Amino acid sequence: MTVSVQLHPELRKWVEERLSRYPTRRSLLVPTLIQAQKYHDYASPGLMQAVADLLQMPASEVMSVASFYTLIAKHPVGKHIIQVCHNVSCYLRGCDEVIARLEERLGCKVGETTEDGKFTLITVECLAACGSAPVMMVDEKLYENVRPDQIGRILAEAN
Amino acid sequence: MTELTKVVMRLDGVAEAHRLDVYEANGGYKALRKVLGEMKPQEVIDEVKASGLRGKGGAGFPAGLKWSFVPQDHPGPKYLACNADEGEPGTFKDRWIIENNPHQMIEGCIICAYAVGLSHIYVYCRGEFYEGKRKIEQAAKEAYEKGYLGDNILGSGFSTHLTVHTGAGSYECGEETALLTSLEGGRGHPKIKPPFPASEGAWRKPTVINNVETLATVPAVISQGARWHAGMGTEKSKGIKMVCVSGHVERPGIYEVEFGVPISAIINDLAGGVWQGRQIKGYFPGGSSTPVLPAEKVDVPYDYESIAEAGSMLGSGALIVFDSETDIVRMAEVITRFYAWESCGKCTPCREGTRWMLQIYERILNGGGRMEDLELLLSICDNLEFKSFCPFGDAAVSVVRSTVSLYRDEYEEYIREHKVYRRRFTPVKH
Repeated sequence: MTVSVQLHPELRKWVEERLSRYPTRRSLLVPTLIQAQKYHDYASPGLMQAVADLLQMPASEVMSVASFYTLIAKHPVGKHIIQVCHNVSCYLRGCDEVIARLEERLGCKVGETTEDGKFTLITVECLAACGSAPVMMVDEKLYENVRPDQIGRILAEAN
Repeated sequence: MTELTKVVMRLDGVAEAHRLDVYEANGGYKALRKVLGEMKPQEVIDEVKASGLRGKGGAGFPAGLKWSFVPQDHPGPKYLACNADEGEPGTFKDRWIIENNPHQMIEGCIICAYAVGLSHIYVYCRGEFYEGKRKIEQAAKEAYEKGYLGDNILGSGFSTHLTVHTGAGSYECGEETALLTSLEGGRGHPKIKPPFPASEGAWRKPTVINNVETLATVPAVISQGARWHAGMGTEKSKGIKMVCVSGHVERPGIYEVEFGVPISAIINDLAGGVWQGRQIKGYFPGGSSTPVLPAEKVDVPYDYESIAEAGSMLGSGALIVFDSETDIVRMAEVITRFYAWESCGKCTPCREGTRWMLQIYERILNGGGRMEDLELLLSICDNLEFKSFCPFGDAAVSVVRSTVSLYRDEYEEYIREHKVYRRRFTPVKH
């Protein structure tokens, strides 16, 4: 059986403040899992068990829901998450070169984490900033009109 | 020269327009005051109906009509879900509204809530919109403090609340019934209609679902009147639309225009024409879910009916232009991969069909395609379309069918010559 982790008190508070805004407790599931990643490394089985207890629902359902959404990390990830769009508008404006340069600079492939645990590189679908394609995000920061020669500077900024 | 008609974008260029004081100084919340002070709920619905305002998320359904489907006498709570889960590839207008003028959207939400009698507004915001979420939350806080939200709004006796709800990275959750499932705390799976959300939506209560741009247009419709709005655009496509131009143009961006403007004028006059002096090969008129139209059809007027007649859809307003150098097969693969990976997996034709099509594309791009693959692709399209709970599957076939029929020679060249596409990286699903 999965042993649940101790939820961060701030997260517990965050959830409790919002419960009255929804007719059911489980409605808060997705936002809670997103918020949880601010305090916990990733959505581990223990964290999902704890969230299940908090929202009074089966842990299996929490895991089923978590597995559906890209922004909920089900495995340990790096300190910074790099999301690069590889969809059509970015493809038309050269995202393939940006992604290739990122792999080269980081020394890891798409879907992997660097050996020092600093960066996880993933490709994502349209980030809704196609007017300034190609785009990428490092954690919560959006970078627009990215050129391969800017990658070094962008990575240094996050470090 | 094609003129911009700024309605939703009227505060474009005004500094700090996301702040309540700036929005109010520019006429903000006057429409709400007018509605609460002078109009009965039914009059608001009638006004929006008469304005001809249509939903701007993709389907183009008349907004006032949608509102009128909600039963007035229903006991218990009713909800508004504001769809800010902008995800259609090529679309980036809702992000602009949320980040630059969130109060206009909130004002539209409150007016809608008053007209239909909705007790709670849920703004379902894309998980990746970190900045946008902060802006809406801040704007909602200001609106609560000023008495535009909460109990007894501006002393009118009407009460409604607003909550920002975050998504977590799923294209499918932009589909209205999947959005509701996600809001309820589930996997983003669509529900069968009927019952329509207007009678049985979030938590099985009557629910209105409108796109951000639609709601942000409502204050202008109220302030300036249905007649003003209906006077713009064409006979059936009334009003204005934020057009998101991306791809191979000199000046990609959002251009708000009246319906009926020729698409070539949007591309050439506003977006600066095709980049690097090249020729246009074709374009998506309404995002990756809409069939590609060839260069010869670039003079089609920008309205729902004309684009439908030309064989495509206006969709969410994403005009994606590609030039004569574009590798059509690779472009179609990019989009097919998107549908294969984003299919929620509920309905078999969509889940299996999109993945099968992706495998065929990978085979062709790896130099191992077969001539019969083209007929096979078209046959999968026939077996996928209109066979699922939601329109996702129908969207997935658009690019395949339209590019195979318009640019068949490029597919055949890949297959005949065993041409191999040199990938710069290997896409991985995670």
